[in-house]
Parts: sequence; C-alpha cells; structure tokens
Amino acid sequence: MAVDPAKQLERNARLMELLARTALSDQRAFAELYRATSAHLYAVALRILREQPAAEEALQESFVNIWHHARSYVATKSQPLTWLTSIVRNRCLDQLRRRAVETVTMDDEDEGMAIATEDPGPLEALLAGADARAVGRCVDALEAGQKQAIALAFFQGLSHAELARHLRQPLGTVKSWIRRGLERLRTCLDGAGAGP
Amino acid sequence: MNLGSPDRADALAAQYVLGTLRGRARRRFERAVRADRTLRDAVQRWEERLLPFAEALPPVEPPARVWQAIQASLRGARVARTTFWSSLGWWRGLAVVSLAAVVGLSIVLLKPAPERPEGTLVAVLAGSDAKAALVASADRFGRYLTIKAISRIDVPADRTLQLWILPGTGNPRSLGLIDATAAARVALSGPADEALRNIPALAVSLEPRGGSPTGLPTGPVLFSGPVQRTY
Repeated sequence: MAVDPAKQLERNARLMELLARTALSDQRAFAELYRATSAHLYAVALRILREQPAAEEALQESFVNIWHHARSYVATKSQPLTWLTSIVRNRCLDQLRRRAVETVTMDDEDEGMAIATEDPGPLEALLAGADARAVGRCVDALEAGQKQAIALAFFQGLSHAELARHLRQPLGTVKSWIRRGLERLRTCLDGAGAGP
Repeated sequence: MNLGSPDRADALAAQYVLGTLRGRARRRFERAVRADRTLRDAVQRWEERLLPFAEALPPVEPPARVWQAIQASLRGARVARTTFWSSLGWWRGLAVVSLAAVVGLSIVLLKPAPERPEGTLVAVLAGSDAKAALVASADRFGRYLTIKAISRIDVPADRTLQLWILPGTGNPRSLGLIDATAAARVALSGPADEALRNIPALAVSLEPRGGSPTGLPTGPVLFSGPVQRTY
C-alpha cells in the first residue's frame, strides 16, 4: 500500500499552508486542518491510550495546543504530519504517566488490544507503515524480538517493564532488543534517504 | 541530566520518541532538551525517522463532540486573552498560555521561556491561481526571514527566484535570491519588526540567473502575499 509520492507532497503542502494560516489565527484553516488530520491522529491516540474517553481528551488538548503554537511550527523543518503526530503522542504518553500505576492489563492472546478486531496488530501496523514509506527492508532487517518490542512500544505505548511482562522476557533482554533495534533502524533509514 | 557521550544522548532521544523513556527520566530529558540545541535536533531527527510509521494506521473518525470541545475551549481562551492583553500585559499572558499548553508539546516548543514578547511575521505567498507556494516567516526580533517552498516550483535552469519587499510607497527592494527546492534564509537589514515595518507585502519574481540586472523586478511576479503579524 505504497503512498503515491506526488499525492503525499501535495497533501504536505496543503497541511503546511493550513498550519501557516492557523498561526495567523485563521479559524477556517484550523477547522480544515482538524478535518484533514483528526482521524489519523485519533487513531494514534486510541492505540496508545486504548480508551475512547482518554483518546478524545488527548486529541482535544492536542488541538488546543496546535492552535496556540502553530506559529512555532512555521520555523521548524519537520513535516507537518510528523509535527502534529509528535504533539499527540507526547500528550498521550503524558497521560499514561499520570494514570494510576497499572491500569493496563494485557492478555497474552490479546496482543495489542486493538480497538476494533479488524484493526491490524502493532506488528502489522509497523509493516504497513514501512511499506507505505518503501522502507520495508529496514523493518525486515530487525530480528523478530526487536521488531515486536519496537512495534508494541511505538503503537501501544508500552514501557520496558510492560514489554517484559507482555513478551515474557527478562527486562534486560527487552531493553537490549529496543536499543539494538533502534540502532539498526537508524542506520537503515538514514541510508534509505528517509532520515534527515 | 547526565547525557554522557553523544551516542548516549542520541539513544535517549530515540527512546524518548519511541516512548520507552518514562516517568522522571522523561521529565529530566525534556528539561535537558530545552537547554540543548543538539539534543533538540537529535529528537527531531528521530521524530522524522519513527513517526511516519504511524501514517499507515487505519484512520478512526473521532466523535463530533471532540471538535465542539476544542471550539469551546478556544472561545474561552480568546476571551481570556483580550483581558490580559489589555490589563495584565504580555508577561502574565504568556505565562497563562504556556501553562495551558505546557504538557505534551512537541519538542520544537520546548525552548526556554522567551525573555521578550513572542511574535512572528508570516507571509503566505501565492500565485495567480491563489495556491500557496511559499511561506516566509521571521521572529519579530529575528534578523532573517525563513522561506519554505510548500509546493513544487519549476524554475528553468537559466533562471532564478528573487524575493522582494513591496513597500507601501516606492520601488520594490530585493531581499535576495532564493532556492525553490529547500528552506532558504535571507538576511534582513535589522530586526524583522523594524525591517518589515510599513511593508504590506512580499513578492517573488522570476529573474535571470544571478538576479535582476536592474535592481528592480524584470521577470514576471510569480507569487506574492501580505505580511501578517501574530502579535
């Protein structure tokens, strides 16, 4: 499911323009920015927070932040969707931190606890994301454990301890999977021209 | 926070973006990022590497109440803002806005609190089809203008793009040549707020390589747009 690069370029340009206009307090541009990106960002939040009310709250707070800080975007080199995604993800990770110590339980069969059953699990999501960017070989280059740990951490927001429990591996093993997996990803992605 | 070697700093940036850097370590790291430009760049590079993986997630339409709540919250903020602009002044205003937004911001926002009022000048430059092609922006106290191309601009090999400021009265003045493919920076004669005072608009014309030989635009004006201020 590779994304058409021309279409992607066009979409990015449109989002940049909407962000620039949002920075100028253009409410119509902000509404269009919401329409264009909220379903994507809500999906990101739902994965990490796994509860609708929490994900709605994170999305709402993120967009309020985006309204107030769109002008900070104008000066960055980030792609618009990357910038928006980082705001939502950080918001979600903060919410996880504030939650009571352990509200998350994960069954072994219930890998990923996707919201809807037809949703792909974290591993499938990672592969789909790699395909869309034509960087499949970078994900293929990861060992199975590295791949799984990174996918769960990234899409489900699992901590090292949660990963160790979920994957039934010693904490040290999981940490090293993550660390080495990230190193490998960096080398491959930067080589693929997907890096900076 | 002890970041140790550059390798360790980069590894922490990776764990921060992946989400496995948690709790107090995450807070400490965010504080370190605020003070350290290299670290901020490392985080941004990891965001560009990892976050696009999320783009293939099947989208989920949020309930309509989310947008309603956003609007309600912004209406409240607008009322509050006019109050403190007029009565409490910028400092208090800035504090309230930062407080409201302090959590969950992208790393690009995690810079030290400014010692002077924030403000940005922005011009969205569009062609005759009204499609935006370039965004020019500057910090109000900054001495350069950042130009970003937001759509593809085809420039013949023997031509170049030249950026102009269009004063309310008098001739356009050149700000320099710009690259259509990447973000460009052009120097201003002083802080943007002063350099662009009484400048209602910016424009970009197509010129021979090396720039206009006459000091005035000679080629067609491809894009133009009003200079607007966020302050």
